[in-house]
Amino acid sequence: MTTMAAEPIIEARNIVKRFGGALAVDGVSVSVRPGEIHAVVGENGAGKSTLMRVLAGIIEQDSGDVVVGGNVLASSAKASIEAGISLVHQELSLVPEMTVAENILLGSAPTAVGFTKQKEMKAIAADALKEIGVSVDLDERISRLSVALRQFVEIARAVARKPKVLILDEPTATLTPAETDYLLEMLQRLAQGGMAIVYISHRIPEVFRICHSVSILRDGQLVHAGSIADTTPDKVVDMMVGRELKADLQTHRTSSPGDVVLKASGIRAPGVNGIDLEVRAGEIVGLGGLVGAGRTELVRAIIGADDRQSGTVTLTVNGKTRALTSYQSSVRAGVGYVPEERRTDGLALGMTVFENINLPNRRELSTAGFQLPGKIMQFAQSLSEKVGLRPPEIKREAGQYSGGNQQKIVIAKWLGRRPSFMVLDEPTRGVDVGAKAEIHKLVKELADQGTAVLVVSSDLPELLELSDVIHVVRDGQIMGTLAQKDADEKAVMSLASGEKMVNA
Amino acid sequence: MAKETLTETIAVAEAASIEPQAKQTTSGRLFMWVADNGIFVFTALLVLFAVIFVDGFASLVNITDVFHRAAPIGIVAVGMTFVVISGNYLDLSVVAQVATSAVIFIAVSNVYGIPLAMLAALVAAVLYGLANGIAVGFFKANAVIVTLSTTYIGLGLLRYFSGGSIFFGPQDGPIREFGLGKLGPVPYSAVVLLIMTILLSILLTRTNFGFLVRSFGVNEKATRLSGTNTGLVIIGAFIVTAIAAMIAGFVLAAFSNTAVSAMSDGYDFRALAAIIVGGTSVFGGKGSVFRTLLGVIFVSVLTNVLVLSQISFGYQQVALGALIVLAVSVDAVARKVSKR
Repeated sequence: MTTMAAEPIIEARNIVKRFGGALAVDGVSVSVRPGEIHAVVGENGAGKSTLMRVLAGIIEQDSGDVVVGGNVLASSAKASIEAGISLVHQELSLVPEMTVAENILLGSAPTAVGFTKQKEMKAIAADALKEIGVSVDLDERISRLSVALRQFVEIARAVARKPKVLILDEPTATLTPAETDYLLEMLQRLAQGGMAIVYISHRIPEVFRICHSVSILRDGQLVHAGSIADTTPDKVVDMMVGRELKADLQTHRTSSPGDVVLKASGIRAPGVNGIDLEVRAGEIVGLGGLVGAGRTELVRAIIGADDRQSGTVTLTVNGKTRALTSYQSSVRAGVGYVPEERRTDGLALGMTVFENINLPNRRELSTAGFQLPGKIMQFAQSLSEKVGLRPPEIKREAGQYSGGNQQKIVIAKWLGRRPSFMVLDEPTRGVDVGAKAEIHKLVKELADQGTAVLVVSSDLPELLELSDVIHVVRDGQIMGTLAQKDADEKAVMSLASGEKMVNA
Repeated sequence: MAKETLTETIAVAEAASIEPQAKQTTSGRLFMWVADNGIFVFTALLVLFAVIFVDGFASLVNITDVFHRAAPIGIVAVGMTFVVISGNYLDLSVVAQVATSAVIFIAVSNVYGIPLAMLAALVAAVLYGLANGIAVGFFKANAVIVTLSTTYIGLGLLRYFSGGSIFFGPQDGPIREFGLGKLGPVPYSAVVLLIMTILLSILLTRTNFGFLVRSFGVNEKATRLSGTNTGLVIIGAFIVTAIAAMIAGFVLAAFSNTAVSAMSDGYDFRALAAIIVGGTSVFGGKGSVFRTLLGVIFVSVLTNVLVLSQISFGYQQVALGALIVLAVSVDAVARKVSKR
């Protein structure tokens, strides 16, 4: 703090960006000084990522300037990189089949007459990794690294360009607490070295731990900017959400599970090493564990979305037991699936809300193969309102909605089928606080109506809030099972990590 | 006076603050509008231009001729629209399918009668659709390479069985009557094109099958994870294409009253041109059968105008090729713009 220079190194002045009719960023100004860690917070759809992409020159603003060291920047990714701005993306953008060194130097590899200089490349990569204090084999392929290490390689790639400004978009979303600590300390070191850091996060405690100043965005507008010392976590959340929220959070259901609905035995698949699992009617079973532990692979193998190597799965509805042999047979038998990747797997973003909702319900909304438009519209409208889609305009394209609203559409799709068994994989990843509470309420209501629910979540408070019972998965096996009353973050994490923390 | 200056000041300030973004969005919007709706305007302008400036265009004989030439290609194109909307680029094997259908139709009807000829052609069409559809839909093979190969197989088989000979139909009878018959100035073949357009449009927009074809074109994974047998959807799209190609074969055979394996050369490219110029996206998901009909009219009138203006065949090919490059580029840019 004391070494902080007076002049900002980067300034965004009155940035405006529209997508179609919607104002994504509405006249936002932000400035960051060398050595400062500046938090940009806001709900999903508040415009954080759009603003960052403008700073990095990936998208062009409609008006406003990005000023670096007193010069107005041309809007191109090349100009931004040359001006010393590096963006660490929210989605990992490494090439899995290339080595660590190749990935760090991707796009900026030193060359001689078109050939890459291997030695020099490795030296630069090694320097970058040293700077962030991570040790990893330079010749290892990315596909063989853990998700956490990939995240660090991604940061090394940004650091290798010797940036003046480092922008990180939700860097801790997939990290364990220990890995997060390590990352935060690393950022503090980089800032002490004079780098300006823009830190985007949903996690308010992290912001208060390392950031010097904060900008709060809501609906594309800057609602607050100032020193972190002048505010409190509660105030920040209130300004982010723009409304009071508390009520639904942290209320457990009093559940009385019924008969076993889903029974999976001896499930083996790539990443899954022999798992038995039961879910009862009206029960929410949570799957905890680290990213890469095999939970997504497990649920996909159970419902047949991916092939099983062995194992059997049965679904019992109204006393009738059916074997689930393929994904289609699962859906027909009454399985709903909210996948981890809603943008690519959950929704057809280029189609309207009503078309997305019609997709799994089409047989019920047609006669002799002919669609019944009136019935489809009515069906989609009532479901959209039920899940709290805002605005509930079913003729809009799904892609025009924010993450939280998109997830509500995915849930609406399956609610229409009144599923007897519902799988939700990371139901609120990248979803803002308000929508998260609404989605939790929907999941609980679903269970209250007698649906057997299986939830995968890396978000510990969410897992603890929703689950009646938690199975903790590590290396494709269930390491332990915790009843609701015995479960807390520490118990889940110690099972998930096998007591020894991952050293990054 | 003071008031005037104030309004002026505001006006200047507003112009300064709004103009740069307004400019951008206006040109962007104009581009998107042209990409989406340009075909309607361009077709109208082209027809108007032809009527006014091109000698011999607006004659009954010429219009009937345009219809005759447009009909078989149009029927192929409205069918192939299904494959394109499903995001599988195109079905090159329509060339072999049309020729096979025409040869079977003439050759078999000469010996066994028309109903049996149509049945035999239908069997061939369904086999084609299955072969293409299974390879692309279930084995996830690349549609361009699969259909390029089935074109080879199909034409090879046709040449083997037909011995490369030309088949002639009877000098009179129902085939001939249909081939030369007209409803007013409109030949029966064009009526068939119109009926096919309406039927296939209903299939694409009103049925679950058509919905799934479009949905698959937008997002294959999300469609599968909604509990859809996507392999069957793709097989369906290829069978629709094959049946349309079969009907195009009937129409073509009836019109020329002959059938030979080389009679449908270039149909793949011309049908694709009509589909793309009509505004159906090669990226899948976006487009319609009526757009393809409009594309057929545009391409056919353009070709006719070039012929009447005595532009050589070589230049006609250049024009058609350039038109497709233009249309595909507009499609790609429009996709990028709308994604932003």
